[in-house]
Amino acid sequence: MKRYFAGLDIGSTMTKVVVIGDSIEASIIGPTGPEHRKLANKVMEDALIKAHLAFEDLSYIVATGYGRINVPFADRQITEITCHAKGLFYLLPTVKTIVDIGGQDSKGIKIKDGKVNNFVMNDKCAAGTGRFLEVIADSLNVPLERLGEISISANRAAEISSTCTVFAEHEVTNQLANGESVANLIAGVHMSVATRVSSLVKKLQIEKDIAITGGGAKNIGLVKALEEKFGCPVLVPPEPLITGALGAAIMGKEIFEKFAREGQTPTRSGHGLEEARFFS
Amino acid sequence: MAFFVGIDVGSGYSKAVVCENRTLKSYAIMPSGGDYKESARRIADEALSKINISINDVAYTVAAGYGATMVGFANRTSTDISCHAKGVHHLFPDVRTVIDIGAQYSRAIRLDNNGSIVNFIMNEKCAGGSGKFLLIIARILHMDVNDIGSLSLTATKPVEFTTACAVFAESEAVSRISEGALPADILAGLHNAMASKIATLITRIGLTPDFAVTGGGAKDIGLVKAIEAELGKSVLTTDEPHITAALGAALLASESL
Repeated sequence: MKRYFAGLDIGSTMTKVVVIGDSIEASIIGPTGPEHRKLANKVMEDALIKAHLAFEDLSYIVATGYGRINVPFADRQITEITCHAKGLFYLLPTVKTIVDIGGQDSKGIKIKDGKVNNFVMNDKCAAGTGRFLEVIADSLNVPLERLGEISISANRAAEISSTCTVFAEHEVTNQLANGESVANLIAGVHMSVATRVSSLVKKLQIEKDIAITGGGAKNIGLVKALEEKFGCPVLVPPEPLITGALGAAIMGKEIFEKFAREGQTPTRSGHGLEEARFFS
Repeated sequence: MAFFVGIDVGSGYSKAVVCENRTLKSYAIMPSGGDYKESARRIADEALSKINISINDVAYTVAAGYGATMVGFANRTSTDISCHAKGVHHLFPDVRTVIDIGAQYSRAIRLDNNGSIVNFIMNEKCAGGSGKFLLIIARILHMDVNDIGSLSLTATKPVEFTTACAVFAESEAVSRISEGALPADILAGLHNAMASKIATLITRIGLTPDFAVTGGGAKDIGLVKAIEAELGKSVLTTDEPHITAALGAALLASESL
């Protein structure tokens, strides 16, 4: 009998679900709304429909990310650092250093023998996180997902001297008023994020290959700025948003198989696809 | 009789002080706006006209602050740190540690017995400890920034914030509001977060009393009380903490002839 496993990654801005069997069966990416505490079941449902599976077909479910404790039907919660490392190692086995730029944090992870060896994290300051890009994109009235392509047409990166998101936003508005082009400003903003992230990740002993994951990886301008800062290519997985959820699903599979080798099955949550009522 | 003028053109507000015999005779405060040159001229006019004198009666003018070089009629400029030190020492001779909370910067200044600057540190990298943070707080709660201090003092269960980052604290505040937290408790929590950020500046420069808080941030009683709680010490403020550097500049002007 073929077994299926699901990983849910409830991030601060996006919720991701991956269902795996022998390989990836389905993946879903949706926004994390203010109701995300309740709605993990909906996203899960969508993923199951896409995979042509029923909830009962899942042998084990692992939740990760910022909102992982809000998934009543998850059998296990595992930190996103472990899951990102697991997922990325599966996709790109040569990677030793991972840069994760999320909606409201950024991390550096070192992998050794497929496992997390060390990590650094910034979740105290919006600079160097996806939030910084979001704030600037808003004030430039450019959709977040278009920042990358627009920055590619820049003829130089505008100098953004403020580190702080609040001050940088003013700086960008002022420079725009003084005639600087939107493309050059966005390129400057990418450089600012890259500077901040690279100085964070350089606290780890950086080893190649370097890969980027999280929403920031979808921004080609940011990836190029990071390559400039690190002085080497940065690998991007085919779908960088789902790395954590994929890792969670693989962790689930490994946990299940470990039990199976001893002739046992792991304990399940006992919950169906229901809302997290304990929060309301 | 000779009059001396101090102008402090900050990134948020412009301030002018007129002194005679090292005594404050008049002052004025207004938002700096986009044209510093014009703001400086207007703020000086306002302060002078309050005591019915004109720029021709002024013997010497010192300009300080973010837009100091734009004050065309000044005889010279001085750094705002020196002016702050001068102003504080004049008002409170026993103060050794000054915390200035401006619109964009906060800084801690250490003074010796003579009022000379021994050391200073600035936080210009982060909005978390600056007046900007207070403006953001006020905006979240749809309040006037001048009213948040007194409401903050009525808090019974201050909300705990995990960060003093202005951007993250803003979204955290919005979440807490949606969960039903009271405005006073949100304000007190934000004041506490800001105070802890400011306290790290003070700890870095050394905890030598007396303490004074100056700059626009000192007008926020909620913030001042939060700083006192964080330090475990009382801090001195004036009725018009905004004009401390302008006063210092006017005193420097008095000494310039």
